[in-house]
Amino acid sequence: MDIRVDKDACVGCGLCVKDCPMHVYELQDNVSVPVRPNDCMGCLSCHEICPAQALEHRGIYPARRHYIDIKVCEMLRKVI
Amino acid sequence: MSASYIDEMHEAFRSELVYRPEEIPLECTPGPKEMEQTLHGVMKLNGLIIRSLEEIAGRGANAVTYRAGKKFGHEIAKYFQKREDVEGALRELSDLLRGQYSFEVWKPEGEESFIIEKDGETFIYLVFHDCIVRQTLRRNGLEQGGPLCQTLYGYVVGAIEEITGRKARLEIVHTGPNACLKKLILK
Repeated sequence: MDIRVDKDACVGCGLCVKDCPMHVYELQDNVSVPVRPNDCMGCLSCHEICPAQALEHRGIYPARRHYIDIKVCEMLRKVI
Repeated sequence: MSASYIDEMHEAFRSELVYRPEEIPLECTPGPKEMEQTLHGVMKLNGLIIRSLEEIAGRGANAVTYRAGKKFGHEIAKYFQKREDVEGALRELSDLLRGQYSFEVWKPEGEESFIIEKDGETFIYLVFHDCIVRQTLRRNGLEQGGPLCQTLYGYVVGAIEEITGRKARLEIVHTGPNACLKKLILK
């Protein structure tokens, strides 16, 4: 797993460090660093919890998202 | 209600189709894209049933959903070849259920085997990727790890009991938007 942290965006809140059950992240100089990326199982809780949206995972399996309404997405596409 | 509206409504449910009892439909109708509304309806209904069950039965809701999941697990796994190897049974189960639930046996990098022995417990980590329970909960804005997740707990335990004849229990270690980590504790 390749995890990248946008160092400029990271606010060093440590929420990803606390939330990760596999202790993938550590705070170093007030920036989150993925020290055990191979222990990441790809739950993406860190993405959901990160207030700065500073994280990026590569090589992840994206779970099916049946709960996203196609009609709503079509409307959003028109607006955006 | 106007007569024309009633006629229009009746018209929508009529066709020229000749349907014989021996004609078994070979595929679902309508197509997958048109099924979306049905799927959302089912998810919404399931979410409301679980919410109401929790309001009325409290913690008893977990027992009901666990039981339902266990029945499902036994039902699915009874067609499997009986085997003692839990790891192999899980892999087989995962292949068969792809689409409803997909999971993989998983281990942290430092562990040598998928079957981990720690603090007097023997367990296997399972990472659930695709999960109809998670989809339903997120569709309804419900918290993960509640009674509906107990169906999955019962399901895996039931299937493992059926295939291997061994007792087991499942612990939710972590829930996330893309995957959940569970611990299958073998007895």
